[in-house]
Amino acid sequence: MSSDNDYDYSDDDGEYYYDDDEDMMSTQEDEDSASSDDGMDMDEFGDDFKVPQRSARKTYEIEYDSLPQSAVEKLMSNDIEHISGIFGVEASLASLLLRYMRWNKERLIEKYMDNASAVTVAAGISPPSRASPSALGPDRSQGSSSSARTSGLRRTARQTSAPLKAKPQPSICPICFDDTQALFSALACDHTFCSGCWTAYITSKIREEGEHAIRCMAEGCALVAPDPFVRSALADDPETWERFNELLVRHFVASNPNLKYCPYPSCTYTVSCPTAASKSALTTVVPIVTCGADANPPHRFCFGCPIESDHRPVICPVARMWLRKCRDDSETANWIKSNTKECSRCQSTIEKNGGCNHMTCKKCKHEFCWVCMGPWSEHGTAWYSCNRYDEKAGVDARDAQSKSRASLERYLHYYNRWANHEQSAKLSVELYAKTEKKMEEMQVTSNLTWIEVQFMKKAVDEVFKCRMTLKWTYAMAYYLEKGNQKELFEDNQRDLERAVEDLSELLESQIEPEIIPTLRQKVTDKTQVYVSKRNEIMLEDTAKGFLEGRWRWNVPVEGFD
Amino acid sequence: MVGICRTRLAEERKQWRKDHPFGFYAKPVKSADGSMNLLEWEVGIPGKAGTPWEGGLYKLTMTFPEDYPSKPPKCKFTPPLFHPNVFPSGTVCLSILDEEKSWKPAITIKQILLGIQDLLDDPNVNDPAQSDAYAMFKHRNDKVAYERRIKQQARENIPK
Repeated sequence: MSSDNDYDYSDDDGEYYYDDDEDMMSTQEDEDSASSDDGMDMDEFGDDFKVPQRSARKTYEIEYDSLPQSAVEKLMSNDIEHISGIFGVEASLASLLLRYMRWNKERLIEKYMDNASAVTVAAGISPPSRASPSALGPDRSQGSSSSARTSGLRRTARQTSAPLKAKPQPSICPICFDDTQALFSALACDHTFCSGCWTAYITSKIREEGEHAIRCMAEGCALVAPDPFVRSALADDPETWERFNELLVRHFVASNPNLKYCPYPSCTYTVSCPTAASKSALTTVVPIVTCGADANPPHRFCFGCPIESDHRPVICPVARMWLRKCRDDSETANWIKSNTKECSRCQSTIEKNGGCNHMTCKKCKHEFCWVCMGPWSEHGTAWYSCNRYDEKAGVDARDAQSKSRASLERYLHYYNRWANHEQSAKLSVELYAKTEKKMEEMQVTSNLTWIEVQFMKKAVDEVFKCRMTLKWTYAMAYYLEKGNQKELFEDNQRDLERAVEDLSELLESQIEPEIIPTLRQKVTDKTQVYVSKRNEIMLEDTAKGFLEGRWRWNVPVEGFD
Repeated sequence: MVGICRTRLAEERKQWRKDHPFGFYAKPVKSADGSMNLLEWEVGIPGKAGTPWEGGLYKLTMTFPEDYPSKPPKCKFTPPLFHPNVFPSGTVCLSILDEEKSWKPAITIKQILLGIQDLLDDPNVNDPAQSDAYAMFKHRNDKVAYERRIKQQARENIPK
């Protein structure tokens, strides 16, 4: 796939140039206004933030190509030509062979060299009875062995090469029994049907079942219609023919671990990302990619897992684990926390929904006091007022209880923050609308032009992006093992969070005409200098940590020892 | 294949009257007004000789969709049959009756009925459709009970 890299770079370049322009424009203004600021932020980050980092790819970004359907079709036809050349068979048959082997060229070549006729039969190219004698037949003694092995295929190739060829009419079509039909055709198996039936059958297979391997209409016949046959059956229906090609592309993409189809509805782009193709790679990189479709918002998804959004900085296995946990736990966890206690002997969760404090565990029959959690035997007859608070048994019971509560508590700490950022990000739609209004106001109340008020929108974009990062840092922190590394991680997280909240607050503040210049300067500084820098640090450091193997987990994670 | 449904069914009927396997019957039902409804057939499948199914004639209705023969007919035992691959509703679960599996437009009614006859004594354990018959058939120690049940069912289905 290296030949297609050019494509991607040119694409990226375009994007970067665009960013650069924007950055340059606003940075100039920043410089003008920065002098009046106390300059703290600028001193720290001023030198490098102005230099657009387009030279090197950032650690948290992954190298990938975005291919339109035509480019994938090109890749397919390269493979087909290759196989067609090696085996000396027609392209349409080489294509059937490749589809049968799920586009694994090496395996196909190996199997085909081993037993060409078996592969040809299995791929639905020639009927079993006919392929075996010719491939193992007498021609093997004459000529080169390779041509002898493929001869079975060659013969069928000739037969299928003329699609929908009018066959000598045998009788009436056994499917429709329509005696007005004059055109008949058959695959290499010679099961002849009228062209009307073929067209209807092929159309229904493609349109209703999304099937690209269209087998002969005869009972039990496994022959697959080659592309020229399908094409001529669909001569009057270019739409279905197009759908057929799309199905082929999808099959090709699904068979190739380096490729992934854009999951957005009706998008036909494919992303190629060989770096993230193996499962082991997913423990060190987070392959967030954007397909080349011209969409707003862009089609961003994870190449490594089915999460259809940016889950940086967390790697796929941890992100998946977290989502699963949230799905399973968070709904009930809150309720459990506020309404139940655990039996101090068997740890079953118990809800007290009435009655006195003398509890009997339904499971282990342990009798205890709901208030102090101590065994009831020590209570005597002092119901209603628990006076045994300091009894040892009660303390032990509460210890065990608090341990299990603590783990729930811990989970909820991370979950609530995670959910909070998610919620805030969801509200960003509203914030966008609000901001737009403010931007209009500003244009009226101050002398700023449309271009000049864009700093607000940029700031909202940045806040949204950072909230996404923050959200996932909580998932990551939940699974990080205690220690210095985690502390550093949480320091970065805290800095980013503080910066984001500050900026968020600024965006929500009332706009008085006289403060607009200050506000503008503050927002721009915060957005560009501080928040985006903080986000960068968070992502970059986490990504580096993965590459260096710095992160340790407090639970077993897929792919780690 | 729109519009060929009835032509094809008329031809199927002609072929069936010309020649059909011994012990079977198949005919389109009559509507209330006495006209023939080609889209619904009443058929009878005899149990094979030498199997516990022998002697029974099992009634089935075949319902043909408008897009037949692109799509297969629905075959339903009336009343429902005790068999691992027959749903509690009576519908038969068989790969040649599934358009996403082995259904082909060229499959004839005769082939379908012979296919179902084969299925009677040769259930497919990978595709259970009802739990009673499946459980009994799968557990080897219930084999005797299963056969007894099948024979009982055959007796209940002796044609009059």
